[in-house]
Amino acid sequence: MTFEERLARLEAIATELEGDDLELAKALALFEEGIENLRAASEELAKADVRVQKLVERVDGTFRTVDARE
Amino acid sequence: MSGRRPPRQTPRAELDLFGTAASMAKIEAPPPPPAPVVSEYFDSDAYPGETAQTAVTVSTLTQTARDVLEGAFVPIWVRGEITDFKSHRNGHWYFCMRDRGSQIKCVVWNRDQRSIPAPPDDGMQIAAYGRLTVYPTRGEMQFAITRLEAEGDGLRRKALEVTRARLEAEGLLDPSRKRRLPRHPRIIAVVTSLDGAALHDIIAVVKRRAAGVRIVAVPAAVQGDNARQEICYALDQVNRWGKADLVIVGRGGGAHEDLSAFNDERVARAVAACSVPTISAVGHEIDISICDLVADHRAPTPSAAAETATRTRAELQAELRDLSSRMIGAAQTLIVGGEQVVRRLGREVASNASSHVVHRRAAVSQLAARLHALSPLATLSRGYAIARGEGGATLSSTAAFTSDMPFDLVVRDGVVSARVERVEKSA
Repeated sequence: MTFEERLARLEAIATELEGDDLELAKALALFEEGIENLRAASEELAKADVRVQKLVERVDGTFRTVDARE
Repeated sequence: MSGRRPPRQTPRAELDLFGTAASMAKIEAPPPPPAPVVSEYFDSDAYPGETAQTAVTVSTLTQTARDVLEGAFVPIWVRGEITDFKSHRNGHWYFCMRDRGSQIKCVVWNRDQRSIPAPPDDGMQIAAYGRLTVYPTRGEMQFAITRLEAEGDGLRRKALEVTRARLEAEGLLDPSRKRRLPRHPRIIAVVTSLDGAALHDIIAVVKRRAAGVRIVAVPAAVQGDNARQEICYALDQVNRWGKADLVIVGRGGGAHEDLSAFNDERVARAVAACSVPTISAVGHEIDISICDLVADHRAPTPSAAAETATRTRAELQAELRDLSSRMIGAAQTLIVGGEQVVRRLGREVASNASSHVVHRRAAVSQLAARLHALSPLATLSRGYAIARGEGGATLSSTAAFTSDMPFDLVVRDGVVSARVERVEKSA
């Protein structure tokens, strides 16, 4: 899942948890899923520096990216 | 000389007075002695057209006039007002330029129109660069124009309006077409010149703000004759590559002419056809380009585009924190409710506890345990407080506070309304 999708999923989970008529088992499952998403999203945030690359098209129309010289 | 005008010294092959260049060419080799010119070639002493017998053809007259005129004038700028503009089926433009006293027929050949932003309108005051010639078929003097500028940059504005109207009619400028930008794009494609300031600025801003982002430059000239084509091609590459989350297309600020590629209709269509959200950053604070209108988001400069594209790590963390506290809050409410239900059910079935109740009780305590481990309330009970701003956002840094700003303090057993007195960042 991308960070975007995780944020959207978290939003949906929070909204659903805030709603009425939620089965506890369902709530627990949602909560667990939410926690998992939070963890993964935070990890992603902690990750990596900014990387600068250049897009290069091969003769056959496929692509590769090469790191920029700095 | 008995009143005779001396023959012109113009080379004969060029004048070709009788349309007999080929036969004369034969005579001319070897080169004739310089004088006397006429008598060498004609039996009579009369020069062409001097007598009825030596009358020249109409073609000779008009063609000679053309040669003389073209030889006499270097290309020049002429100013005047446009009348009778016609764009002919054959692709050429015909019109008159005039002032109070005179007029001249003008033509812009098809091949010369590329450098002119739009066809001029009748009544426009223009300056035109061209060569004075004669159109032999009609025997008219004609000004053949290769460059044309209208007063007040009128042609460029007209071209912009025409393009804009066309795109608007197709709905490409419709605000409902604008896509939301991703909150945290992992791969940002940047369509611009590799050695331009735009790319440099974008990299600097992203490095300062965000993390875990890949900037992938897709090279394209952003000014000059190839710019349109290269920008379109680069955008197409981004589409075919398919991995970018977002595209920034643009360049640093520049002179008016330099931005013309971003006012090009094909470029605008390529931006509109982009498979991922687009930010245009044409680097001109005042003029809005067509590209700006079509893109999902317009940034005044490349740096601003990079800021719009990325969240800082702190911003995203705050967003996650908010979501987490919403979830936890909701779960707490559920637990309280759940416990009540369990208690009620427990009372109802009194002695013989059903498996249903046991199951629910287990679920509640599991949720509660999980919650306790994560809950910020555990921290609050130790005496910490959470500051929340408008909309409930957690205020975790001095940067989030302004003087005299109202905010809420969430403590263990409730909420305290507060107001900022002084903000002091620790060293």
